[in-house]
Amino acid sequence: MSHANTATRSHQLRFGIVVVAALAVAVAVTFGLPSYVVFISTTVLVTMVSLMGLGVVTGSAGMIALSQLTFAAVGAWVMEYLMFLTPLGSVFGGFSFIVCLLLGAVVAAVLGLIVGLPALRLRGVNLAVITLGVAAAADLTLQKIYFPDAWLNQRIDRPFGMDRSEFGDRMYFLFTAIVVVIIAAAVYQVGRGKLGGMWRFVAFSERGTAAAGTKVRNAKLSAFGVSAFIGGLAGGLTVGQIGQVSYVSFQTAASLGLYVLCIVVGAHFIDMAFFGAILFVFIPEILKQFGIPLEWANVVFGVLGVQALTSNSTLGDQIRSGLRKLKRHGATAQPVSAHLEEVDLERTSAIFTTTGQPLLEVKNVTVRFGELRALDDVSLTVYDREVVGLIGPNGAGKSTMIDTITGFLTDYEGTITLDGKPMEGLAPDRRAHEGIRRTFQQDRVPSSMTVGQYMRLMAHGKSTPAEIDEILSYFGCPPAHTPLRVVDVGSRRIVEVAANVASKPVVLLLDEPAAGLSHDEHIVFGNQLKKIPQKYGISVLLIEHDLDLVRSVCSKLVVLNFGGVLASGNQAEVLRDPEVLKAYMGEKVGE
Amino acid sequence: MNPLLALSVGLTAGGTFALFGVLLTIMSRLGKVVNFSQVAVGTFGVFLAIRLVPKDMQPWGAILVGMLVAMVLSILIGFVIAKWLGDAPVSTRSAATVAILLGLYSLANLLFGTRPQPVLAPFKGPILQTDLVNISQLAVVTTVTAILVAVGAKLMLRYTLVGTRLRAVSDRQDAAELMGINVMGLQLGVWAVTGLIAGFGVGVVANIQATDANSMITILIPSAAAALVGAFRRLDLAIVGGLGIGALQGLLTAFPSIVLLKDWIPILVIVVFLLWTERKEVWDVAR
Repeated sequence: MSHANTATRSHQLRFGIVVVAALAVAVAVTFGLPSYVVFISTTVLVTMVSLMGLGVVTGSAGMIALSQLTFAAVGAWVMEYLMFLTPLGSVFGGFSFIVCLLLGAVVAAVLGLIVGLPALRLRGVNLAVITLGVAAAADLTLQKIYFPDAWLNQRIDRPFGMDRSEFGDRMYFLFTAIVVVIIAAAVYQVGRGKLGGMWRFVAFSERGTAAAGTKVRNAKLSAFGVSAFIGGLAGGLTVGQIGQVSYVSFQTAASLGLYVLCIVVGAHFIDMAFFGAILFVFIPEILKQFGIPLEWANVVFGVLGVQALTSNSTLGDQIRSGLRKLKRHGATAQPVSAHLEEVDLERTSAIFTTTGQPLLEVKNVTVRFGELRALDDVSLTVYDREVVGLIGPNGAGKSTMIDTITGFLTDYEGTITLDGKPMEGLAPDRRAHEGIRRTFQQDRVPSSMTVGQYMRLMAHGKSTPAEIDEILSYFGCPPAHTPLRVVDVGSRRIVEVAANVASKPVVLLLDEPAAGLSHDEHIVFGNQLKKIPQKYGISVLLIEHDLDLVRSVCSKLVVLNFGGVLASGNQAEVLRDPEVLKAYMGEKVGE
Repeated sequence: MNPLLALSVGLTAGGTFALFGVLLTIMSRLGKVVNFSQVAVGTFGVFLAIRLVPKDMQPWGAILVGMLVAMVLSILIGFVIAKWLGDAPVSTRSAATVAILLGLYSLANLLFGTRPQPVLAPFKGPILQTDLVNISQLAVVTTVTAILVAVGAKLMLRYTLVGTRLRAVSDRQDAAELMGINVMGLQLGVWAVTGLIAGFGVGVVANIQATDANSMITILIPSAAAALVGAFRRLDLAIVGGLGIGALQGLLTAFPSIVLLKDWIPILVIVVFLLWTERKEVWDVAR
């Protein structure tokens, strides 16, 4: 059995234990504590649901959402409407509550998608403005239209015939606890899965997300939809708890308070959502006991929020890093050089020759930035299974070329085809799916994941776990369970290359992949790179300043200067070209 | 009410939105923050001032003191953000102002209560009233202030040394710092001026639009929508946006059957506008 399987199994075991323990605690609270405490505890759990929803959009996906209680209000309103005014309120008997609860949450999610849609292509701040606006507008609307319970002056029936006696309150707490455990387990599993990876990736880098073949819009939209759905559930649960609700329960200021609390505790961690809920409910309770005005709680939250932002860490982060220090668990990963003995160091293996079939064809591409021609009538071809080097001095247009080929720059003249198929009009994520993958000069590897999670996310199911393990070991990367935050920046770039190889692209564009590597690591990496076409059937376009590396891996070279092609062709010929030597290395050549 | 009359009445609120839209735009361009506490500092300042200033010196004495309090508050917030979030992305800096908004809102409710505040109006009544239109003095004052602030900011940025330095700080903070420009001082200056004007803005409209702490949010949202119309960059469009939103909201009061829609106008304006301006994909970083 592989290490990964063992780790997964023990993880699942721990997960199961936590779920069972949580349910046991819920049962103990239901029957063991005074009824007032049980009632307040229900409020804590409902608040925890709101915070978990907010954790998805704010903590995981890095967006500012200020309307969490609006989604709760919509969930509550729709649920009441369905329960009171449609047959759904009775047709499923004891289950009607659950059906209407879910439908209310679905409507909240739809509203979330509508609200999120215009903000999707925008930075978090615009989403903040929109969500705050929605919260305030919904507030005013609810003050005018009231909740259905006020029209009829009725309370909705709790599930399974639970009444509103003390015992009913205890049973409703247990019901809420079970719902919360289900939501928490789902949020946890989704967070660890592909969707959660997408959210964390998009929070870290939109360009990185798109280059990995994931639509930035979908990643953000799904986070917002899931968050609103969970928010809607919280609203429905509130109705079940207190029977009659009004706009007061869902006011804008409370949404602001929840958001600030979310960034204080780090509500994308389930335990922190629970802790945040306790703070949110019990601080006002304690203030009430001492006769202190409740508004002080929000003042304190405001100060804590500023503190959390200025220190750039949530309470959850701090607790986790403290625990890690205690455990001395995985202090640092070994850099790639530590794995040198595992890969061969020979420098002389031959450069693989192409089969001669053109794959990536760039024809007469011109990119203008105003008057400046960043690329001027550039053509290049990458044939099947060859490594082509794209070199040139700083500012020659190399990175612009990569941005154009991968679809990040859309305003260009000329044509780009992959295996004969035109790429014009395709967004970066589509081009990635067609088989054009790239790495970045900047660090675009999200530190919040493990090596394995990142590899799987990037691979889009194109490689099996065994293949991923093999690719990791081929590139001498840290093992799959290593958290990326302990991997040094140079090694992360190699992990990025490995992850893109695992996605089995047609052509892989590498933008200075060896920057940050030591001399020995350079040599090893060059050898690995050289064999990529042969071993994995991938063609490579390599941007690199290190001429040693270029010389050892590239069969052909294209030299850019001031946006135009200065020379292209066979490696040795190009490197002998006096014009190239002059442009690329200045006057010092030959001294 | 006839639609044109309703529309012209809406300009009173529109002028306020335009003024705060301009302030938000200036903060966004020169302070690299969407300042959610922009209205809150003004409201807090004015509410405090009416308790400090004797009745016979109001409203102008209170407005003046309110402006000063708002300025001090704004400088304090600016200091926190410039000092500890100097290199942070816009979203983090803005999130901090959300937390500050929450704090100021709650503190205002605590100190001043949730009931309407006894603020006096410096400008009362219409400046032009016919059967067809009704334009209040307030609409003219706020709109003219917004235009003056926008033109003043534009001229200062273009023609003065301070303006050039401010643009340098806003474009490349590190480079400006290396040139020996006092980045912190300049940024706090921007916070001070916008705080001062926010105090003035709230002071003149308080008796109708900012009678309680909720105004910290209710004025902010349409103003932010106005600023978004100018993409948080164009001051002229922020003014047009603010007046437009106010006018549209006013217009809707003429149609009682769809009065619910009135509260959603700022949001609809933002949404429609963003869908139009952001047709093309934009990325989080240039490269």
